[in-house]
Amino acid sequence: MLGMTKRTFMALAASSALVTAVPAFAQESGEIVIGGSLPLTGVFGFAGVAIEAGIQDYIKIINEEGGIHGRKLRLAYEDTGYQVDQSVAVFNKLTSQNENMHLYYGDSTAFSRTINPELVRRGDMIMAGASFATEINDPVNFAPQFIAGPDYTEMYSILLEYIAKEKPGAKLVFVNSDTEFGRDPIASSTARAKELGLEVVDQIITPPGAVDVSTEVLKLRRARPDYAIFHGYILAPLPEFMTQAKQLGLDTKFMGTFWSMDSSIWESVGDVADGFMGVMPYRYYYDEEEAPMLERIRQMRPTYQATGYMQGFLTAMLMSEAVKRTLDEGKELTSTNMKAAMNSIKDFDTGGIIGVPISVPGNTVPVGRIYQYDAGEKKMQPVSDWISVAE
Amino acid sequence: MSDFVFFLEICLAGLGSGALLALTALAFVLIYKATRVINLAVGEILMMGGYFFFTVAAGMSLSAWIAIPVAVAGGMAIGAVVERGVIRPMLGEDPISVFMVTVGLGSVLVGIVELVWGTDPRTLPDFMGTAPVFIGEAYVSRKIAISFAIAAVVIALFLTLFRFWRGGVALRATATDQAAAYSCGINVPGVFSLAWIISCGTAAGAGVLLGSIGGISPTMGAFGLSALVVVIVGGLDSVAGALIAGLFIGLLEALTGTYLGGEYKLVFTFGLLIMMLMIRPYGLFGTKEIERL
Repeated sequence: MLGMTKRTFMALAASSALVTAVPAFAQESGEIVIGGSLPLTGVFGFAGVAIEAGIQDYIKIINEEGGIHGRKLRLAYEDTGYQVDQSVAVFNKLTSQNENMHLYYGDSTAFSRTINPELVRRGDMIMAGASFATEINDPVNFAPQFIAGPDYTEMYSILLEYIAKEKPGAKLVFVNSDTEFGRDPIASSTARAKELGLEVVDQIITPPGAVDVSTEVLKLRRARPDYAIFHGYILAPLPEFMTQAKQLGLDTKFMGTFWSMDSSIWESVGDVADGFMGVMPYRYYYDEEEAPMLERIRQMRPTYQATGYMQGFLTAMLMSEAVKRTLDEGKELTSTNMKAAMNSIKDFDTGGIIGVPISVPGNTVPVGRIYQYDAGEKKMQPVSDWISVAE
Repeated sequence: MSDFVFFLEICLAGLGSGALLALTALAFVLIYKATRVINLAVGEILMMGGYFFFTVAAGMSLSAWIAIPVAVAGGMAIGAVVERGVIRPMLGEDPISVFMVTVGLGSVLVGIVELVWGTDPRTLPDFMGTAPVFIGEAYVSRKIAISFAIAAVVIALFLTLFRFWRGGVALRATATDQAAAYSCGINVPGVFSLAWIISCGTAAGAGVLLGSIGGISPTMGAFGLSALVVVIVGGLDSVAGALIAGLFIGLLEALTGTYLGGEYKLVFTFGLLIMMLMIRPYGLFGTKEIERL
């Protein structure tokens, strides 16, 4: 090889590797990495894809403005298929491969719970995710975590406050899937309903993945509630419940929580979906009220973006704000410092992603609004003001 | 409304759900009966049927009466391709290997659905109407009533075909003794293909019915597991067993869900499965020498 000895060749190869590697390392050292165990496939895939887009767009906005204290943000993520073991494996892989990973997005309640001791041990990261589980709203035991919206119990509280105002003394039925997700707010919300003078006349639990709900509809007809609140579902079996309830002449109003509130999934349901209501912590892509950040999103993406997008976008915004406030104070990016910075957020303007200034007093943003689906317009329309359930 | 009418309504709803389970279980039975292969991808083929219907009825805005045959034909095509391309080259291999191939096939089909149609849950265009059905005073969901009628007709048709049609007799002969069937001039590979094609077409049809009730999504294949319980209880190689066990489990789930709570449905269903495997592992109507995997 051009008279070069093996030793010389190896020395040249090693030195050239160093020459190319050193600038790359120096360049990456300034970045702040958001890690992500994202559910891009599987049962929650529809949300994961939108969440990733939302996080990426906010990162793009921040980086175009020069980053945070000159440090650019980057999302490093992998698909988990919404499997806890895979989420943990992705976490371990990403944290070992990326320096300066101080922020993380997790895909489920189970992952949030599983990884919490590791977050506490590391002490250099805060995490949010797709879970709005009530148990995560515990600033003591889940200190490195937060929820970019109300937890499920707070979502129910927002719905119940709306109902108590619209129809005092109303009769309710809670319909929940027999999953951790579905059962989350039952006990706490039953107590809250009582406090508000509402009567929970029945609770219907459906097995995970239930398709035919004929027997549950018959129970609903027996109870004849004014409102039926569904939780633990994305779409099915809600349309079938609503179809059969109409066939039976029930005038029950059907409500849901955040993950059932994307208007695009209701589009194909048609007229039956008309009147479906639920709690939404963020504005919709197409909301017409003044919102400069929504306007910017619409410029970046001219087509409708799902509710998961808004959740991802706001999560990245709150994470960035916590990092910015920590660095403003000249502190290290530790879990404790970033969480304290997060809790210092008071009356923060999200640019209209949420319609009122928000605060993060604990682990949640306890605010939301009731929207109702208009099948004619194929849009969710607001039917209440923003309701805060901060204690 | 009297308690008796309510009880009657619950029973009718349970029988309706059970008919759907029985129809899906039939897809397991047909393949097992002919080839001794447990096709764990039945749920995913059922899902493909729902998506084929969705593509034609919603995507192309064609009539449901065109979309249904297309969906069934799509399922049959999958059956033919899988049998000829994947299963037949594995003839003679360890049953566990073939079983695992069908598990992999299910994952591949889910991946294809996510790539082609995306991960959003979707609703199928309504083709069954919305007028409620009453039997006397008792209400039955229209979709469930229609699904029950279709499942009953299809199962009755299969029972008749197995008894009187040459192809059905050939399938039974192959199931009993492949070597003897060969020596009698029966085209055994052809019977295998036929079983896969008919089975997957049946699963795809069940997918259309199921999708019309609960919508479609890449996870709807999980319904196949419920049907697997039915075939284990009824007997892996018994069409009548699939029907009777399907109706029984539908009824059991409806009654436990109503009177004990939805959280008890799966407890009772899988409790029954365990009990059956302990007492009568070949199922209520299955052949005794069936090998358990």
